[in-house]
Amino acid sequence: MASQRDVKNRIASVKNIQKITRAMEMVAAARLRRAEQRISKLRPYAEAIRRMTYQAAQAAGAEASSFPLLREHDEVKNVGLLLITGDRGLAGAFNSQIIRAGMRAGAEMGDEGLEPAWYATGRRGVSSLTFRGRELSGSYTGFADKPSYADARGIADDLMSAYVDGKLDRVDILYNAYVSPLTQHVTRETLLPLSAPVLEGASAMGGPDDGSAREQSDGPAPLVEYEPGPEDLLQRLVPDYVEISIYRALIESTAGFFGAQMTAMRNASENAGTLIEEYTLQMNRARQAEITQEIMEVVAGAEGLT
Amino acid sequence: MARTTFPVEVLTPEGEVFNEEIEMLSTRTSVGSIGILANHAPLLAQLEPTELRLYRSEAEIVRFAQAEGYLQFAENRALLLVEEAIAPDALDRQTLTTRLDEARSAAERAPEGSEERARALRDAKRYEAFLSVAA
Repeated sequence: MASQRDVKNRIASVKNIQKITRAMEMVAAARLRRAEQRISKLRPYAEAIRRMTYQAAQAAGAEASSFPLLREHDEVKNVGLLLITGDRGLAGAFNSQIIRAGMRAGAEMGDEGLEPAWYATGRRGVSSLTFRGRELSGSYTGFADKPSYADARGIADDLMSAYVDGKLDRVDILYNAYVSPLTQHVTRETLLPLSAPVLEGASAMGGPDDGSAREQSDGPAPLVEYEPGPEDLLQRLVPDYVEISIYRALIESTAGFFGAQMTAMRNASENAGTLIEEYTLQMNRARQAEITQEIMEVVAGAEGLT
Repeated sequence: MARTTFPVEVLTPEGEVFNEEIEMLSTRTSVGSIGILANHAPLLAQLEPTELRLYRSEAEIVRFAQAEGYLQFAENRALLLVEEAIAPDALDRQTLTTRLDEARSAAERAPEGSEERARALRDAKRYEAFLSVAA
């Protein structure tokens, strides 16, 4: 049995760990609030861009398919997979669930005879993929805590030019969608080519204004004026849509990361609390055993004298 | 005389900046300036950087410096999606002037016909528009 001193040391070290996890929990909670605000403000904008792109693409009709970003490649061979992860760990399964989903998607593609090309944001994703021997076509790190629009634009530019140049025939994105501090939902979306179902498909994470938006798009389409024509509008809308989708994925992931970290750190603090209780009990028992032992020795000694 | 009002929503990636009933809105599309009253025909337009004016009434006008974006008018509701919408008093002439100069020189450095040049020119255009609003 561990001596009193050993147990005491252990309690002290667990207490220190608990202090750290508590502090990390608070920091994550504060950052989560900010990230949550950002995502809730961005969602209506992103949804509206999606609807407009859909509307313009429908109006452009056959002409739309001549636009390089909307044209589906005849033979799909190379598929870009963009994994959105965090820069740091200590956030439960947050990063590993994306990596796992990415690996599974990559294996499935291999079975179908497709060639996955890996792209990753966040140090965790980049290092895990490199560790697994995957060659990265693009890695973007250092902004996972506070992604800016320019970061998203850089990634979007790379992916769009690879698609237009024919290096990629499809681009999928995998990210943690923020649901609540306790849950992040691994989401996979096809960014390119922009197909009607993608644009039409209301995302499961629709913004608060989703209801009213649906009403707007229902019913027979009225005759709409386009300034400039729908084809020219698409030239601008589609890249904007891709950029905003990536930006949104980055922000969803940031909010999800802080949620996951907060939850993980809260659990760690609670576990530390239970450990401390257990060790305290153990220490008290050890002390009591020692006292009992001493008393027995004293009594035995006294008895020996008489 | 008071005109019929219609709801207008102005959204940016940083959130909603305006959501009220107004009598008229005035902005600029890539084809030219446009003013919209209630019951306008359905419209989808690409917006250029300019001064966005929202007329609560003839006398009461809300102004914004507006970056590129899109305008959708459907079922008597206007929805503006713009990259930025800044109140005129939040604009700082000095920073705008330096940014404009930076964008212009970046445009000159970038090779002819490149995407970088197009972007720098777009930036310059935006700062010009913002400066005219700040005046």
